[in-house]
Amino acid sequence: MAMQSSRAESVARESPVHLEGLGKDYGQFTAVKALDLSVPVGTALGFLGPNGAGKSTTIKMMTNLIRPSRGHAVLFGIDVRQEPTRALARIGAVIETPEFYGYLSPLETLAYAGRLRGMSSAEIAERSEAVLKEVKLTEWADHRIQEFSKGMKQRIAIAQALLHEPDLLILDEPTSGLDPRGMAEVRDVIKSLKSQGRTIFMSSHLLGEVQEVCDDVALLNHGELLIHGSVRELSRGADTSIFQVTFLHPAAPQDVETLSAVPGVVEVKASGDSTIDLRISGGEEAQARVLEAIVGHGMKVITYRPLGSSLEQLYLDRIQESDRL
Amino acid sequence: MTTSPVAQVLTVASYEIRKYIRGRRLLGILILVGLIIGLFLGLPPALGIKYASTPNAFVSTFATFAGLLAVLGGVLFAADALVSEHEKRTGYFLFPNPVRREVLVLGKMIASLIVCASVLSVYYGAAAIAALAVTGSLTWDVGLSYVYALAYMMAVVGVAYLLSALLKSTVAATVLTFFLFTLIFTIIGGILTVAKVHPWFIPTSASAIITNALGGTAIGPGSGGGAEAAFVPDPATSVLVFVAYAIVGGVLAVLWFRRRELAS
Repeated sequence: MAMQSSRAESVARESPVHLEGLGKDYGQFTAVKALDLSVPVGTALGFLGPNGAGKSTTIKMMTNLIRPSRGHAVLFGIDVRQEPTRALARIGAVIETPEFYGYLSPLETLAYAGRLRGMSSAEIAERSEAVLKEVKLTEWADHRIQEFSKGMKQRIAIAQALLHEPDLLILDEPTSGLDPRGMAEVRDVIKSLKSQGRTIFMSSHLLGEVQEVCDDVALLNHGELLIHGSVRELSRGADTSIFQVTFLHPAAPQDVETLSAVPGVVEVKASGDSTIDLRISGGEEAQARVLEAIVGHGMKVITYRPLGSSLEQLYLDRIQESDRL
Repeated sequence: MTTSPVAQVLTVASYEIRKYIRGRRLLGILILVGLIIGLFLGLPPALGIKYASTPNAFVSTFATFAGLLAVLGGVLFAADALVSEHEKRTGYFLFPNPVRREVLVLGKMIASLIVCASVLSVYYGAAAIAALAVTGSLTWDVGLSYVYALAYMMAVVGVAYLLSALLKSTVAATVLTFFLFTLIFTIIGGILTVAKVHPWFIPTSASAIITNALGGTAIGPGSGGGAEAAFVPDPATSVLVFVAYAIVGGVLAVLWFRRRELAS
């Protein structure tokens, strides 16, 4: 018993999020199969996947909004289904774009959340001011939420998630509904939280956002975990990437043949008179060798740039592969 | 950072009451109460009719509408309390907080009971003051009728919460609550009476004690124009029936609301 308890404490210390065979069925349809995933303390994990992959379902199981059909969602060593109030006490969550009570102001909404969490009036006042400043809603603090746009509601959602300075933030597409400036501001907030050592579990379908904010990435499709690893390693280890090459002169048919024969080039596609897209296999080393070979063949290159990130390519490759199965 | 469930219940109740105060529903029902009182007090002199001479007879006119007020209270302040968290997506804000679903139901239910009781209190308070002014006296029967009206209101709120936990739309929950207490229960009570079964367990039939407490007699519904023997509910049994509906409705609402998923 004591050993079990000490193991649970150790897991809680090391992995604030621990999903064990977590799955959800809706009748015959399996939304999430059996997800095994751990997020180490202080890590920002990007939870990626196309629409319908099972990201929101997983997050809803983690926050006790829906019951798992199998497995467990364990937060800080506490099973969410067995002890929801204890498990949710140290988390802040933004799930989808929540609605708020239109008759309340942001300050009153934060006070409601704070009182439910047992914060004192002084703490609520101090933290409300800080989080509303962080999400740039100070001027709107006393206005009724019924007047607010979707983007402003998303900011309140983020504010209430930060109110009690949670150790773990669970964010379901946190920049959804925000304009580009708002998205950048939210990313800055998340980066700042990460720098404070908080653990972040963030679902998104914006790869750039995940690359900018997260340390680790988990890719989900059809309710199944396809990849889980660090963003840096996965980007480096991506099998293929697409590079766009712009030449000084229009490429002749024999130039396309020459490029196809360069070791590492998997596919050649003309995308303009002087522009060719090369699909290159073999990571950064191969990309450098292909450029050397092109120049070695006497072709005059103006630009040689990646189209999208290697993570994006990895994402698309794995999703396509998983869709084919 | 934790708080007790009791403190959470009070927090939920206080914010729900704030919702009703800031919304137009409370204002609307108070205007309706004012209109009913105005009509009861203003019409008799305008038509040259004398007021009732005894306090019981005077208040019984008001008491005939107390049941309807209790039903309107349940419809306006209870029927959408739970379902709206799902339909309006406010549950995405509320449910991830460390608060048990039964705490939420209890807090909301307390708020509904307080608001509905306040409306009935204003109504009976005005009737009692008017009775005192017109007849110069008051009886304990007025208080008893008020207590029965409150008990009936509890039954309405309990059933309204059950429907709110079960149904998927606020419109369905409010409409069904209204028609259940104004039509469906009345029809069932009428049919049971025709079948020579006393409908003591039907809350609308039992609610006759609200007026009976003031000396009136509930008239049983007839069939095809023929008069049936009047069903006179027993006060103690009726109060137990109201309490049973309130408790069973509330408990089932909690159980269902706990199981309900916020999936869409």
